[in-house]
Amino acid sequence: MENLLWLVPALPFAGALILIITGTRLSRPLVSLIGVGSVGVSALLTLILGSQFLSAGPTEPVYQQVVWQWFSVEGFNPGIAFHLDALSMVFIFVITFVGFLIHLYSTAYMADDDGFARFFAYLNLFVGSMLVLVLADNLVLLYLGWEGVGLCSYLLIGFWYKEPANGYAARKAFIITRVGDTALAIGLFMLFQLFGTLHIQTIATEAPQTWAVGSQAATIIAFLLLGGAVGKSGQLPLQTWLPDAMAGPTPVSALIHAATMVTAGVYLITRMHVIFELAPTAMLTVAIIGAVTLLIAGCAALAQSDLKRVLAYSTISQIGYMFLALGVGAWSAGIFHFMIHAFFKALLFLSAGAIIISLHHEQNMFRMGGLRKLLPAVFWTFLIGSASLAALPLITAGFYSKDQILWYAMAGERGNTWLYLAGLLGAFITAIYTFRMVFITFYGAPKSHVTHPPGPIITVPLIILAVLSLLGGFIELPHNFGHVVLFSDFLTPLLPAIHANDALGTSEWIFQLVAAIISLSGVYLAYVFYLQKPALQANMEQSSLFRAVHRFWYSGWGFDKLYDTLFVRPYVFLARINKNDIIDKIYAALAAIAQVLNRSLAQTQSGILRWYMMGVVVGALLIITLSLLP
Amino acid sequence: MNEIPEVIRTIPLQYYLFFSSTLFVIGIIGVLTRRNAIIIFMCIELMLNAVNLLLTAFSAYRSDANGQVFVFFIMAVAAAEVCVGLAIIVMIYRNLRSTDINILSNLKW
Amino acid sequence: MRLSDLYFLMPLLILVGAATLNMLVVAVKRNHKVIFGITIVAHLVAVFTLLQLNGSSYQIPPFFVMDGWGIFNLGLILLTSLFVTLLSYAYFEQREERKEEYYLLLILATLGACVLVISQHFMALFLGLEILSVALYSLIAYLRTRERSDEAGIKYLILAALSSAFLLFGMALVYAVTGTMSFPEIGVYLQSVSELPLLLLTGFGLMIVGIGFKLGIVPFHMWAPDVYEGAPAPVTAFIATVSKGGMMGLLIRFFSQADAYRYANLMLIFTIIAIASMLAGNLLALRQKNIKRLLAYSSIAHLGYILVAFLAGNRLGVEAVSFYLVAYFITSLGAFGVVALLSDTERDADQLEDYRGLFWRRPATAAVFTAMLLSLAGIPLTAGFVGKFYILASGVNTQQWLLVLMLVLNSVIGLYYYIKVIAAMFAQTKSVQERRKVLHPALSFASGGAMAILGLLLIWIGVYPTSLVQLIRGLLATFMTTF
Repeated sequence: MENLLWLVPALPFAGALILIITGTRLSRPLVSLIGVGSVGVSALLTLILGSQFLSAGPTEPVYQQVVWQWFSVEGFNPGIAFHLDALSMVFIFVITFVGFLIHLYSTAYMADDDGFARFFAYLNLFVGSMLVLVLADNLVLLYLGWEGVGLCSYLLIGFWYKEPANGYAARKAFIITRVGDTALAIGLFMLFQLFGTLHIQTIATEAPQTWAVGSQAATIIAFLLLGGAVGKSGQLPLQTWLPDAMAGPTPVSALIHAATMVTAGVYLITRMHVIFELAPTAMLTVAIIGAVTLLIAGCAALAQSDLKRVLAYSTISQIGYMFLALGVGAWSAGIFHFMIHAFFKALLFLSAGAIIISLHHEQNMFRMGGLRKLLPAVFWTFLIGSASLAALPLITAGFYSKDQILWYAMAGERGNTWLYLAGLLGAFITAIYTFRMVFITFYGAPKSHVTHPPGPIITVPLIILAVLSLLGGFIELPHNFGHVVLFSDFLTPLLPAIHANDALGTSEWIFQLVAAIISLSGVYLAYVFYLQKPALQANMEQSSLFRAVHRFWYSGWGFDKLYDTLFVRPYVFLARINKNDIIDKIYAALAAIAQVLNRSLAQTQSGILRWYMMGVVVGALLIITLSLLP
Repeated sequence: MNEIPEVIRTIPLQYYLFFSSTLFVIGIIGVLTRRNAIIIFMCIELMLNAVNLLLTAFSAYRSDANGQVFVFFIMAVAAAEVCVGLAIIVMIYRNLRSTDINILSNLKW
Repeated sequence: MRLSDLYFLMPLLILVGAATLNMLVVAVKRNHKVIFGITIVAHLVAVFTLLQLNGSSYQIPPFFVMDGWGIFNLGLILLTSLFVTLLSYAYFEQREERKEEYYLLLILATLGACVLVISQHFMALFLGLEILSVALYSLIAYLRTRERSDEAGIKYLILAALSSAFLLFGMALVYAVTGTMSFPEIGVYLQSVSELPLLLLTGFGLMIVGIGFKLGIVPFHMWAPDVYEGAPAPVTAFIATVSKGGMMGLLIRFFSQADAYRYANLMLIFTIIAIASMLAGNLLALRQKNIKRLLAYSSIAHLGYILVAFLAGNRLGVEAVSFYLVAYFITSLGAFGVVALLSDTERDADQLEDYRGLFWRRPATAAVFTAMLLSLAGIPLTAGFVGKFYILASGVNTQQWLLVLMLVLNSVIGLYYYIKVIAAMFAQTKSVQERRKVLHPALSFASGGAMAILGLLLIWIGVYPTSLVQLIRGLLATFMTTF
């Protein structure tokens, strides 16, 4: 059965190929069947593979499959080869399963769009590339998938390309992630230079033997890889593209910019964890980036008025948590949060999509309101997603995954109080902005009409994801509370377990209690502000300081402006200087010389026979002279 | 009555070389200066005959038949060449009423 | 003369027989189809008998030697000629002139080239050369009602005769010094002397004139564009391939058997010629609007490229020459084949304008032509790329950096005019009414089939060059014992 592994990425690719070639000529039901079916079968295969994988036990946890040797030059022989272990299993499960639900949802969401077939072609291409990324057994193939998802992200952000702003957002996403990709590529070159191979497992086994902990090479490479991860995952300082990426259709935001692609950075760091563990500086940097990002993005989310932008900042912030977890060495906690986040964030985006389409493409929260009665199914699923995001204690999956991160940020070997406090503060902010969003959108007086109530194809994926967002947490419970460790056990042979600081060991319940209180108080604060006493808010808006902070956070801490002054303007300035192509003059001159030579040489082809005979005779004389040279 | 090769050998080899080189160069000059295709042809024949002369002389000096056999080949081939050549010249004459090579310059650049 | 000699010369004898048979058939009754059939069958049988020979070296004193190099070249020439024949049928069927003698002349020209590549003696060389040349004179001027055809014919005739006079004079001088006309014996003589007599050097120099003329390299290249333009398209294909390839085969045989690679002067001459050919060919092609002339200039440049490999003077160099010849033959046949396909009754389709928007009118033809041009430009996945890579490898291998640099530079220049033609083919135009009269589909079947095979071969060799490389290595094993 494991021989079918290659089919998992191949099926979406085949779907994309068929849709690209014949898409416009097929009927919509057929396009849906191909688009959804290919991912659905992939998901099915993944489930079968997963069950085999689990039943095989810890002895044989890895499937290898070499599909095709790509090329072979001087020991550089990347193959199209797949590597399935616990880590990639989690990822392909999320990609295919959540991907399938989102595809299904899209058939209804995009039903009236002209680019129906194009949309599914891109989406399938994305799923295939993402699967290649996580299944690749060498870094070249990984990079191929990495760029593939970048391309699809570009295509899908700019899906409605007739709106210039969307095209701008797409280019922005592409260019900013390119900064990270360049760092990643350089990192790969260095790895190849040092190890003579880009095979991940070989590097993983050889790196600890080659480098001491903290060695310079390991640190440099870890930082370069981190650069790639930061770009892809929208972390500081390359986070600015993600809020703008919301220009794409909402299912795209759910799949690419929440559940899967943006977590590719998390995957990369986890996959190369051996190198990161050899570079403590880099590890610390990962944690700090995570902590700072989660705070900054959380604050920015507080000030947004566009529903999707709130979610976008929340995604940045939640990935910040994952980075924090990775940075303190809590690998499985990071991956666990990735999975739970994929569920509830996809749920939130899809619910938001349902609202948006119900209100005829209205995205501003302040023009919604009172939707609790009008869209009850969406309300409940959105509420569950929000609860999970805000980490409401005991009942939501988000609580268990986030609690684990906070605990290790404090008690882990690499953790410290500051990281913990940042995480805690972040959790507080998260609870506030989440329920601010809920209260503004669903409570109060209705401000717009529901024109398209969502059908079953939209609500069924929502319900499935809602169930997962609630129950997904119960496969990993803290050891003082049920002690279920299914998930970390699953990952343990692959990722090193983290040991908690024994001194804090007994007090874990205190930290859990604090986290729970923080989360609930955040919800309460939001309740007071946005539901109970809106006057408070109005009062605060009187103060100029509040307005300034609000504007600052609304603009995402002014990063766009900063980059505009630092990079874009100087670049445009230089480009303007070089408007007449100074460098190009050299080539133009070469071309002109060639033209002149051509003209003068053409004179020799005069068509006059005598001239030609002269040429032969002169040539003969020249040759004789040359041959008689001493 | 001496054998012919012996007669040939009575003149030093250099003389043959100079003589046939001169003939060859005269041929070249003719080729370069004349306008009539037929005359040009004759000049080329002259060049070939210079070669023939040279080959015969060398052959006689070295007492090696190869050179003389070669001369026969050259004569035969030259005849064939002239055959085809004249045919083409006649064709051109029919088309253009002239055998002047200078007016043949439609194909150029 | 032994009986087994006949066995080894069978491919040539079959060509002679076919020529005679064609003559007899023409005398009895003119029939294009029959003559065409005989020619095709003769080529196939000749190739078949060639396949029976193993690659071992077989001497047929004093004129010929049948070794791996000879067999490789014979095979190449015969197959090329076969393709030219296939392309000729549709081309000549449209024309008023008598068609039948064309095939007779084509067979004779092929025979001449065959003699050339297996000769190891001046007389055989000369005979082969002249059989080839005389047949070519008539072939070039075959369409006698066309003014340009005559002009091309007379130009080629006079220049070829002039250059073969130089060749003969050179041979006479070499004979005078060495006292022999056979290549191996010249080699023996060269081994015995420490310094070359001036007369011998002059002789070699004059021989280069004759050889250079046939190869169409600078400064003996000026006939090429005019003759390419004036000759019928299939004949142009033949000149570009068989005539040049045959001479290249001879040149390498002569140099390796006489071991002339040792002489710095000769190498210098060829280095200068190679560089000049590459530059002149590519520069002259830059602004050319006539496709046949453009291809002529490009062929001058390509011979320059081949000389780079030839100058390597080792096994790798000869391999590179062989490979490049195959690639170049396929490409030239394809390119001129397209020209022949598109030509109408009045004139050949040789203007760039004829190709504007071709892709939208005849996508398959345009695709083949694009592939051929890309191969000429040396774009990957085509045979031309592998060939050029091979040549570069041999140049780098012998550290001829100047030549390698010029080769790279010229490839860049070359790209310009190849792409220009491709761009023209893909340009959108107002649909032009097809002027050509439509032939019976069966007639163009031979041409179409040949083009398809050439296209596939081109890609096949470009993607999977190993098979051809192995074939060449196998055949060269017996030839290259001196290296």
